[in-house]
Amino acid sequence: MEKMKMMLVDDEERFLSTTKKLMSKKGYDVITATSGAEALEKLKYKDIHVVILDVKMPDMDGITTLKEIKKLFPLVEVIMLTGHATVESAIDGLKSGATDYLMKPADIEELIQKADEAFEKRQKMEQKIRMAQARKFMKSPREIIRETEKP
Amino acid sequence: MEQKHFKVIRKKILLNMILAPVIPFILILGIGYYYFVTSLETNAIASMKRISEDHREMIESFLTERKSDLEFIAGSYTFQELSRPKALAEVFNRLQEKSDAFTDLGIFNDAGLHVAYHGPYRLTGKIYKDTQWFQEVIKHGYYISDVFLGYRKVPHFVIAVAHEEEGNKWVIRSTIDTFRFNNLVRKVHIGKTGEAYLLNAEGMLQTERHSGGNLMDKPLDRIQYPESHRSTKSFIDKDANGVKYLYATTWMKDKKWLLVIRQEKADAFEALTSAAYLIILIAIIGGSVIVTVAFYLTNGIVERMTQMDAEKDQLGQQLIRASRLAEIGEMSTGFAHEINNPLQIMKSEQSLIEIFISELKEKGQLNQSETLVELEDSLDQIGLQINRCAKITQSILKFGRQSEPVAVDVDFKQFIPEVTAMVAKKASVNGISLKENVSEDTPLIHLDPGQLQQVLLNLFNNAIDAIIERHGSSGGKLIVESGPKENGKVEITVKDNGQGISPENLKKIFSPFFTTKPVGKGTGLGLSVCYGIVDSMGGIMDVSSEKGIGTTFTITLPAASPNPLIL
Repeated sequence: MEKMKMMLVDDEERFLSTTKKLMSKKGYDVITATSGAEALEKLKYKDIHVVILDVKMPDMDGITTLKEIKKLFPLVEVIMLTGHATVESAIDGLKSGATDYLMKPADIEELIQKADEAFEKRQKMEQKIRMAQARKFMKSPREIIRETEKP
Repeated sequence: MEQKHFKVIRKKILLNMILAPVIPFILILGIGYYYFVTSLETNAIASMKRISEDHREMIESFLTERKSDLEFIAGSYTFQELSRPKALAEVFNRLQEKSDAFTDLGIFNDAGLHVAYHGPYRLTGKIYKDTQWFQEVIKHGYYISDVFLGYRKVPHFVIAVAHEEEGNKWVIRSTIDTFRFNNLVRKVHIGKTGEAYLLNAEGMLQTERHSGGNLMDKPLDRIQYPESHRSTKSFIDKDANGVKYLYATTWMKDKKWLLVIRQEKADAFEALTSAAYLIILIAIIGGSVIVTVAFYLTNGIVERMTQMDAEKDQLGQQLIRASRLAEIGEMSTGFAHEINNPLQIMKSEQSLIEIFISELKEKGQLNQSETLVELEDSLDQIGLQINRCAKITQSILKFGRQSEPVAVDVDFKQFIPEVTAMVAKKASVNGISLKENVSEDTPLIHLDPGQLQQVLLNLFNNAIDAIIERHGSSGGKLIVESGPKENGKVEITVKDNGQGISPENLKKIFSPFFTTKPVGKGTGLGLSVCYGIVDSMGGIMDVSSEKGIGTTFTITLPAASPNPLIL
């Protein structure tokens, strides 16, 4: 079973470091980013399954970052972390492809639970993709003949 | 400052309101008066002239006739015949039959001797050779004298005609009845003071005058004479007593006598005086009407302006208050949001500490002690207080939210009990029996339940306030009912037995910022917002109330379409 790799994105560094420690204690691999741009940069080089993204950040806000992530890395599951209790920001995030949302202040257990759910979803998705790819390789003999007849 | 400003405006409006109608009004009156005066004067003068000319013709024809009478006698009889008193008397009598203007008749020879006389005086034998009249008659053939005293010492005038018979001249003379002549001349009818009289070349009265003046008197009035022989002169002048007269003067034939016709100016222009009085009266009445109306209108306008200004001020203040409220709402949501970030960190730190402590305990580095229990209790307390803060910030955020309505099909059988449950505690605390009666056949309604909840909660809270106001903490009743109405409508009624609303307040109940609560207690927005919400749902909100009995709010909403796909 593959181990979940998480990325925490928030402009509050103390939140990042403390949560990272907490997650590590619970046995999760966590990397952190302090801005949307940094998160996108890190996603390029590291295989990340779940991103926990703060909605309100300076420069590039959560929703924009979310849209970028979904554009560049469609398989990455994103959980929005909002300080705003409005239904709108949650709906906005979900519409833009977020898997779930959490309201600040959130319990670490709650956070882990949502992340686990997201990871599960991600794994199911990967499973499906693998199945589809496997089907592609399992071609019928007739197909193989047809393909070899072609110039 | 404001007051002064309105005083200036008031003054300006008033001035314009008065001047605008008064100027043309006065102008019309003035022009009318001027033309009236001119035409009246022209008419008066023209009629005066005409009368004087007619009168002159009449007097002249009278004198001419008398002269012709004498000429006829002189031609018909010889000097010898007429010298006999008996024959003369006979002729005189015949003459009198024809015209009673003659008072006597006399015959003179060329030496001026009064040969024969018939009349009331004894003049036979008197010599007239040196009298002016005799000389004139010998010279010109006839003579009409001025009024003179003569031998008889009584004012009179004579007509004399000379006749030539076989080289000898003789004269026939007759005295004209002064009384009759007077009457003839004086007989003009012009107004009350119109009169006519004759003056001789020396300005001596030849006839008596109504207004005083005996024969042969010389009145002191200044008389203007006509320029030419047959023309008439008209003028206005004061007489010796200072009374203004309108005069017309014209010369009699031979320029011997001047006919004067005059009338007191006040009499001649009597119509003018009454017209002037009438105009003054109209001006006063019209002017006062204009001034009164102007005052009335100006007061109305200024009052309205003051009122509007006050309303504007009030509205401005209300807007400021409303925008301040909105600002507070926005600020508090921002504030709550910002608080959530540190709360999140605190929560994480608290969790971390808990983990560290349990790790230390596992490793045996931390001995079980009273202090440790206290420490763990403190840590729990921190966790609890963080959650409390989180609850506060979340309720602030909910208060400040302004969300787009999300309409769903709502079943009142579930929805209304849910909402009433929210106020059930408050109601029971205040001794209010809360009843809900949702008809089984209430159809589904398509709307944002959050919004309708806001409306109902507002109505419930208002009702509870009204009930507490009237009943204190027992005896209150609040009934919520709903059921279908005709035309696919659903009705919800919220009925209380509170203090009720007065009819004048009932009219304003849905107006924004209208509140009967003390300053600072209510924004006056509640019911107007409710009204707006119900309106946006396509519904109608109505109210009926009776002071001291209770209030019923009725909301009528369209039921959800049975087939949502059609929507």
